[in-house]
Amino acid sequence: MTKLLEVSGLTVGYGDAVALDTISFDVARGEFVTFIGPNGAGKTTLLNSLMGVLRQKAGAVMFDGEDLADLKPEARVARGIVIVPERRELFPGLSVEDHLRLGAFLRRNEGREKMAAALERIYVLLPKLKERRRQLAGTLSGGEQQMVAVGRALMAEPKLLMLDEPSTGLAPRITEEIFEAIDQLKAHGMTGILVEQNAHLALSVADRGFVLEVGNVVASGGADDLKQDPRVLAAYLGAGDRYRETTTPES
Amino acid sequence: MTDTILFLLVDGLTNGLVYALLALSLVLVFTVTRVVNIAQGEYVMLGALTLADLLQGRMPGTLYLLVGGLALCVLLDAPRWRRDWRRALAFAGGLIVAAVAAVALTRGALALQLPVIGMMAVALVLVAPIGVLIYRFTVHPIPNATTIVFVIISVGVSMIVQGLGLLIWGANPYPVDPIASGGLMMGPVFIPYQSFAILIVALLSMGGLYLFSEFTLMGKALQASAMNRLGAQFCGIPVNMAGGLAFLLAAAFSAISGMLLAPLITANYEMGFMVGLKGFVGAAMGGLVDYPLSLVGVMIVGGLESTSAYLASAYRDVLVFSLLIPILLWRNAKQRVETR
Repeated sequence: MTKLLEVSGLTVGYGDAVALDTISFDVARGEFVTFIGPNGAGKTTLLNSLMGVLRQKAGAVMFDGEDLADLKPEARVARGIVIVPERRELFPGLSVEDHLRLGAFLRRNEGREKMAAALERIYVLLPKLKERRRQLAGTLSGGEQQMVAVGRALMAEPKLLMLDEPSTGLAPRITEEIFEAIDQLKAHGMTGILVEQNAHLALSVADRGFVLEVGNVVASGGADDLKQDPRVLAAYLGAGDRYRETTTPES
Repeated sequence: MTDTILFLLVDGLTNGLVYALLALSLVLVFTVTRVVNIAQGEYVMLGALTLADLLQGRMPGTLYLLVGGLALCVLLDAPRWRRDWRRALAFAGGLIVAAVAAVALTRGALALQLPVIGMMAVALVLVAPIGVLIYRFTVHPIPNATTIVFVIISVGVSMIVQGLGLLIWGANPYPVDPIASGGLMMGPVFIPYQSFAILIVALLSMGGLYLFSEFTLMGKALQASAMNRLGAQFCGIPVNMAGGLAFLLAAAFSAISGMLLAPLITANYEMGFMVGLKGFVGAAMGGLVDYPLSLVGVMIVGGLESTSAYLASAYRDVLVFSLLIPILLWRNAKQRVETR
């Protein structure tokens, strides 16, 4: 398998505070990886730095054989790296369909038929968007907004899709719908990075997982292995008391 | 009495429409780039003086600004020659072609002695790109600077452009022909044809902006950048493209505003600042973000201006600018109600 993304020694900070400390990992083509971990572990920071919103202090990010260091977000989108941001970052006064068309902004010269076909694919994947296509994004429910964010990202025909906490604040039924869509994308060979607090959900979708804590990868492995890992079980999958290790001395 | 009121109403409406184009420019630039553009009025001056030159058969001094600006653009692009000389060459070549085309267009227009409306179009083509050049020199290098930095930069731009205006055109006022002279008696009031022309051109320009924003992908991209810059970047819409486009459109609208206004007053190098500030008072009503409220604002400004010119002409500007106080109080009260 060839590597699509290779991150080595990535360090990102806000001022003097280090948010990501020499992170290294790679993502193969067609692979879905997930980063799980508590709030403030640096998961969103990681995606934002891969997207070029935050500058890296050290390390290298190679995408498709190219060093991304100096590229702005829009240039990274042009390379095929697209994000579904945590806060969705929609345009409240524009309609759902406008969002989808703007998602394909860099492909605007490909002609009407291609655009129509791309829209149709999104509507098949996320049927609710078709019902709502004339509605303004500001008037949608949280789940629908999340779907718009996913649809908008897909319109760019990403090579690497990054999803930042897609389940946050959503009802379980909606979360399920969105994860079904992610499952379908994965089945069609999409490469992705999924960041989630809901570790159970994340590990059920991803091939491999990384556990991020205070800016460091503290565990990694195949998704099924991680699900059995006692530390992950204790801390993120709700089994046992996560403080036991530190509070009771080993006998 | 009613005659006077009607006359003042027509006069106020005409002024209001001229300021409306300026207010639209201010809102457009602010929403997309967060620049409170004190220099917006300078495009009014450039539009008026360029038209004055063209109508009197001279090559407009604006060409110095345009060609000089394009040359500076090529210089600023110098670092790219090392990285990617093909693109840099294409860029420089494109700008040189643009400069030659601008000169050729002007010569052609002068040779053909186009009517006023034709000359306005030529002047528009010469002035609007200056907005993009100024964007390139001032905002492009620091897109994420704070609002206060941009305000100070735009004050500087205003002073520099005004100084260049003085250098090129001198301190003399220039008369500018109206699109159509004469007028029409409508009931008791005489309405000059220029007022109709202002109404038609202003409505066409605003209608054009509306159609562009609502029915083209580029227009939607501009709206998207205004609503959520980060979201727009995540769609692959370059910040600088949106910003440059906003400056281009704003320069065009302000230049049109100046060309419509010039026949009513006279054109001179320092006319822009005052007009710019009056557009501001109007746009303040919409908090620099709301188009319809800004239009209401400029209509109030236009009405107050013509009324005070009639009743207390010495205090005309004082009264217009005092309007800012009730406008800000009203906005403050409105905001308190909304956040409650």
